[in-house]
Amino acid sequence: MSELLTDTEKQVIASIQGDMPIVERPYEQIASRLGMSEARLLEILRDLVDRGIIRRFGATLRHQKSGFRANAMVAWQVDETRIDAVGKLMASFQAVSHCYRRDPTDEWPYNLYTMVHGQDEADCRQTAEKMARDAAVDRYELLFSRRELKKTSMQYFREVKSEV
Amino acid sequence: MLDEFDKSIINRIQADFPIDSRPFARIAMELGLNEDEVIRRVKAMKDSGIVRRIGANFVPGKVGFVSTLCAARVPDEKIDSFSEVVNRYPGVTHNYQRENTINIWFTFIARSTEEIEENLARIRAETGVDHIMNLPATKVFKIRAQFEV
Repeated sequence: MSELLTDTEKQVIASIQGDMPIVERPYEQIASRLGMSEARLLEILRDLVDRGIIRRFGATLRHQKSGFRANAMVAWQVDETRIDAVGKLMASFQAVSHCYRRDPTDEWPYNLYTMVHGQDEADCRQTAEKMARDAAVDRYELLFSRRELKKTSMQYFREVKSEV
Repeated sequence: MLDEFDKSIINRIQADFPIDSRPFARIAMELGLNEDEVIRRVKAMKDSGIVRRIGANFVPGKVGFVSTLCAARVPDEKIDSFSEVVNRYPGVTHNYQRENTINIWFTFIARSTEEIEENLARIRAETGVDHIMNLPATKVFKIRAQFEV
């Protein structure tokens, strides 16, 4: 469900989705660009967090440089009657950052997806084997990334004009 | 390399960066450092590339967007030209070549499911790659905010 956002909120979203300046008062800088007070900006940001519109506010790491050198997307074929239990179990692994159910297709029978992180590919493989044993799922594929072709953050509401 | 203070800072600012007039002073107080020292360390971690960015991450559905994962079977010799076309769309935020017969995996965020389908049709027509699957999540079990370092 989509929430109703005011133009001011959209402007705030557009201003805070990039990279914040590393200075004593970063919000003051952003607020002055938007033509609003720092206090007003802080208030809107806290409200966006409270409403769950901001999912996470903070630093995004480059995993390769922070000790998680390898990652694999693991696609699992899980009996639909067990999907909730298996999804929750797999989500509980420390090494798993993302876990989703997606519909299978004719050419691709997998319906559960996990991102598995590790020191190296062998580490990812071992984690996947343990997940497979614990969840009693034996049909799965590890898809190691061979090349990063694009990695950016979504730019929402770039077109919203200043109203203040 | 990262020392213990750097690690504490990273673990502190990933999920819950202070929304506060002097955020670095607040972090400094919590960790027993001073504000300048925290700013210096965060800048150094940005420069070395460990920290990619500091900012907000949104739930697409809550700002009126939809998101999906797309997967394509692209012949080796077409990978570069295919990803050039795909990457042109601002809504394609992540794109990876993966080791599989289905070898190109990208995320797509747009205003609506219809807009994504239209764009995929356009990509198929322009690249000649017919095999592109649209795999929206039907259930989210986990999106992790924090990587302990």
